[in-house]
Amino acid sequence: MTADPAAATFAELVDTSALVVTCGPGGVGKTTTAAAIGLLGARAGRRVVVVTIDPARRLADALGIPAETADDPHRVRGLGRMKGTLDVLMLDAERTFDRLILDKAGKQAEGILNNPIYRSIAGSLSGAQEYMAIERLHQLHEAGEHDLIVVDTPPSRHAVDILTAPDRLASFFGHPVYRTLVGPSRAMARVTSTATAGFAWAVKRLAGPQIVEDTLDFFSSISGMEDGLRKRAAAVSKLLRNQDTSFVLVTSPRAEAIDEALHLNEALQDGGYPMRAAVANLVHPLPPACTIDPALVRAGSALDDQLRHHGELTALAVAERAELATLVDVIESTKHDDVVFCQVELLAQDVHALDTLAQIADALSAPAA
Amino acid sequence: MTPTTDSVPDDSWIQASRVVVTAGKGGVGSSTLAAVTALAAAQQGAKVLLASVDGKPNLGRLFDGSPLTSRQRDLYSDPSGGQVRGQSISPEQAFGDYLDLRGVGGLMRRVVKAASLDVVAASTPGLEHLLVLGKIKELERADDADLIVVDAPPAGHVTPFLASATTALEAVAPGPLRTQAEEVHAMLSDPQRTQVAIVTLPEETPVNEAIELHADVCALGLSVAPLVVNGCWPEQPGLHQPVTAAAREAGVTLTSRQRTALVASSRFGAARLDLQAHQLDRLDAALPLARILLPRLPTPRLTWSDLEVLASALRGAPQSSSQHQPDGTTT
Ligand SMILES: Nc1ncnc2c1ncn2[C@@H]1O[C@H](COP(=O)(O)OP(=O)(O)OP(=O)(O)O)[C@@H](O)[C@H]1O
Ligand SMILES: [Mg+2]
Repeated sequence: MTADPAAATFAELVDTSALVVTCGPGGVGKTTTAAAIGLLGARAGRRVVVVTIDPARRLADALGIPAETADDPHRVRGLGRMKGTLDVLMLDAERTFDRLILDKAGKQAEGILNNPIYRSIAGSLSGAQEYMAIERLHQLHEAGEHDLIVVDTPPSRHAVDILTAPDRLASFFGHPVYRTLVGPSRAMARVTSTATAGFAWAVKRLAGPQIVEDTLDFFSSISGMEDGLRKRAAAVSKLLRNQDTSFVLVTSPRAEAIDEALHLNEALQDGGYPMRAAVANLVHPLPPACTIDPALVRAGSALDDQLRHHGELTALAVAERAELATLVDVIESTKHDDVVFCQVELLAQDVHALDTLAQIADALSAPAA
Repeated sequence: MTPTTDSVPDDSWIQASRVVVTAGKGGVGSSTLAAVTALAAAQQGAKVLLASVDGKPNLGRLFDGSPLTSRQRDLYSDPSGGQVRGQSISPEQAFGDYLDLRGVGGLMRRVVKAASLDVVAASTPGLEHLLVLGKIKELERADDADLIVVDAPPAGHVTPFLASATTALEAVAPGPLRTQAEEVHAMLSDPQRTQVAIVTLPEETPVNEAIELHADVCALGLSVAPLVVNGCWPEQPGLHQPVTAAAREAGVTLTSRQRTALVASSRFGAARLDLQAHQLDRLDAALPLARILLPRLPTPRLTWSDLEVLASALRGAPQSSSQHQPDGTTT
């Protein structure tokens, strides 16, 4: 992590990255930030695509994402004159999985897509959605129609899930049980492998014999694919660690979110992922100081309301900045890369139009305080 | 059982069922509500089990500073005799307990565990959630606690979690898993046994999500507790008055710096209050639920005393002046 002159500002980060991944705890503004970064990239003259996941309805409307073809890149209009272009798409995990099967399974694809067990696996395999976000990114990367890809990540139980998804998928297909199940002779596999016997026993006892049959059918129908899948997972895993990939950690100033963000920071640093920026979103604005002796003001008057609110807002804003200072300290002390820190204030209204999105983009590119 | 929109509920709903599941999208405070509900019930004298299922055992932090583990432990004793105990429940642990319950031991157990829950779960949709709910059902049956408060998994996982029994009933042939699903379904759909407490924030996206979640929960045939709106700014009508007028009325002369400061904070506060009022109206129009507002406390990090303030708000009680520590002593 030494060759590259690290970005010192968000603008530089956007300029020097081919891939940006926004990640962080639930509800802190990952999707909003991803869209705002896309906007910054397009302003700077790049051909950008933003892969969003489950954007708030108003944001999806503002970006004009069509319901029917949401999974394909769609050009965002109404941003005024920009040197570059901004495309967005909404991830459809199942369709991405289908595409992957079509791409990798050759003649067997049709049979797999029609297998009832496939449908449930596409939705239930742990980490499937996380993995598909990354898979879609790989597809876009290969297509080469964009020079900056911004990927939003799904709210997961643990934000680190997103990082381990390719490895988990690979290990699923490399699991001894799975490997014996799809081995050359199923009958043999069943009697020879105690692990398989355990698996069949467990599923049979749990879910009934029919599910065992369907599952074995499904597993053998995708046999031969798993090498391709594993290679793909490995390629994605490498792509995530590229020099021109930038992870952007998004958090709110709430303690629970910061704890999770720190956890994620550790996972990023340990895993050798280029952690390049931390965005503190939803920070309450700190009003200028106002000292008036409350004793002078009649309780219940409008001015009393205003003073009380000023006091509460100030207390909250100050405490939030103290929480964030800890975050900065910890990241500074663990980082391997130069990290850009930004603060985005909680706006007085929701982000549901392109002009409020532009406000967030401006806040991101403002020089650090 | 169908409160009208404007009724402010008394606190009897908290123990109207044996299990309360708190549910909401990330960041709205469903874990906080779980802790607050557990505390409020203990203050009513109940023996409460607080269970975390999403693998984020942070719930315990508010009580005694350390995370919940799979071993149950005491979190709080109330002077009324009520208490809160806490534990976390992971799918792996629930799987192990399930095998115990079925008398699976020795070599077979090791073999089954080696097959890894991941691989087994891949062929049985919703299995992990169902195992966890099955464990909660066993705890309910054991009858050690008057009330079990469950913090549901966040985000996209709430509905699949609550729907796992229904899903399994559709997909699974008769057998132990189906029996498990039937028993879990019976627990979830009985209003005397389970209520879902939906929590949201007075903001656009959380409100949309609460409305969707409510529809999902109703479609599954589960009963819904009063809606909890967390993070509400206190109503301060004075914020809507121009600063100069407010000062004149109060007979106070402001310096220009004081005025600038107040204009900044009041403008922000008034805008957020408008947004909040608008979103509360939307909730009123969309959801036929009684509603409890929890205040936005001016801190990003809740402490034990904040938990007490929120528990009082949840119970609709005036704030008490004496404060109890988790171990039952008074400050
Ligand atoms: N700075 C801000 N000021 C005001 N509202 C904001 C701000 N940033 C985001 N929001 C609002 O917060 C809500 C959540 O944002 P967003 O959907 O981006 O979060 P997320 O992290 O992607 O959530 P999830 O974890 O559910 O995917 C949206 O309604 C958005 O408009
Ligand atoms: Mg999102």
